[in-house]
Amino acid sequence: MNGKSSSRSFWKTLLAIPLLLAAAAFLQSRIDKATRSEASQKEELLVHSGTLLKKMSLGYDPLAADIYWTRVVQYYGARIGDREASFDLLAPLLNITTTLDPHLVVAYRFGAIFLSEPKPSGAGRTDLAVDLVKRGIASNPGDWHLYYDLGVLYYWRLKDYRQASAAFLAGSNAPKAPLILKLVAAGVAQQGGSFETSRMIFTELYRSTSDPKVQKMALEELQALKALEDEKHLDKIVEEYEKRFGRKPDSILDLVKTRLLPGLPLDPAGYPYMIGPDGKCQVGPKSPIGKPRR
Amino acid sequence: MSAMPGVVAVNTFREAVRDRVLYNLVFFGLLMMGAAILVGQVSIGINRLVIINLGLTAISVIGLVMAVFIGVGLIYKEMERRTLYSLLARPVRRWEFLAGKYAGLLLTLAVNTLFMTIGLAAALYYVGRPFVPADVTVLVAIYFILLELALVTAIALFFSCFSSPMLSALFTLAVYVTGVFAGDIRDFGALTKNPGVQVATRALYFLLPNFHNFNAIAAAGHGESVPVSLIWQNTLYAIVYACVVLTAASAVFARRNLK
Repeated sequence: MNGKSSSRSFWKTLLAIPLLLAAAAFLQSRIDKATRSEASQKEELLVHSGTLLKKMSLGYDPLAADIYWTRVVQYYGARIGDREASFDLLAPLLNITTTLDPHLVVAYRFGAIFLSEPKPSGAGRTDLAVDLVKRGIASNPGDWHLYYDLGVLYYWRLKDYRQASAAFLAGSNAPKAPLILKLVAAGVAQQGGSFETSRMIFTELYRSTSDPKVQKMALEELQALKALEDEKHLDKIVEEYEKRFGRKPDSILDLVKTRLLPGLPLDPAGYPYMIGPDGKCQVGPKSPIGKPRR
Repeated sequence: MSAMPGVVAVNTFREAVRDRVLYNLVFFGLLMMGAAILVGQVSIGINRLVIINLGLTAISVIGLVMAVFIGVGLIYKEMERRTLYSLLARPVRRWEFLAGKYAGLLLTLAVNTLFMTIGLAAALYYVGRPFVPADVTVLVAIYFILLELALVTAIALFFSCFSSPMLSALFTLAVYVTGVFAGDIRDFGALTKNPGVQVATRALYFLLPNFHNFNAIAAAGHGESVPVSLIWQNTLYAIVYACVVLTAASAVFARRNLK
């Protein structure tokens, strides 16, 4: 074979490679289409035992835990907001993650949120979230954040103020725990679900996390609490209006016109309050603020 | 003591560099860069942890692959090329040749690990984390990986003294995996009510190289300290065990018919 024909066959080969790769990619996309429905049905956890996976990982279990934690985040992220979605694998995935690395505190903390959030934002399984955080405390007894999370679960989701107070108090004894935990424990024990206690809990939740999603959630709760307080205050002014004029105000503007309010009252999101059909003050229809989940 | 093992070691290192063994560092660099960029996008709260865990795991796995697959070929290659015969015709004792080969591969692994450590530090710096005193544990974990590699290299060299590279690699990996499960073998024996099995599994536990000793990746990831006593105990354990294996290797190699 002479040099010219050898060079020609080289360029032909070079051209053939991307063409064949393109053909392979096309075929793969066809195969994906044909098997997609089957693949979605087959989503399952092949190995449920974290202990077995720990053995199988040959000592590289910390990295395996990180991979499983990433899988948890992806699993949760793919389902959040979908009313039809099932979160069945969330708890087993979290169990595997925390068995592979019992000191992966982030998995207990966020895992508890994922599990306890009501559907469609989460699995709606506060019982499993409580179990997860309790296991986290057993493996990391010196981490106050986990006691705090347990307290929040009892307080916020289960409304078991006695257990919540006990969790906050236990957390306050952990090293590096902020002093406010003792106040929170006392507040919960004395007043149960009061505004002030709720504000303290969500303020601490906002401060103790660097995750923007949790911070946003805590901020929304704080705004909702502030709105609820404002509504109660405005209801008293409405009563004052009724006493003075013998009738209910037609709108919130009546309170401003009669100088019972110095100006149009705005909620924490910047939208004006309104008087509802029941005569009670409430946030406007355009306001993003919801009811606090106390 | 003769300077011959040193000469053999330096040549073994040069040969490894010539064979482009250190090209694996490119793979390690890409892995670290990819992880540093991607992890924040697909997970929550574990950027730093993943970089440390992935970095240490990669250092360990890449080192293991190198120790096994280069270690098993060290003697075989010299025999295949017939360079061993001309070398042994000189005043080089067989054990000196073995010790030199062992030290040369260890030097290669140490240099490789040093570059990977720099890559890991760079990746940690990239994810925006200032170095803290607790990071000393990461260095301890890397030191433990080196001790582990020293043991694996000795085992690979031992098998290569009397077996083909393929079989030597299989034997070495089998000993490694069994060594990782050494504790489980002992615990399994303890579960049985048979005193004979209990004694046998306990003996096996002490005979096998216990590679679980050298795993400090989890501690490094969580910034937990490693006791100083464990550092020197592990160092001594690796030295003593490697000496045992190398002595056995030199005994086998001394009696090997090279014709």
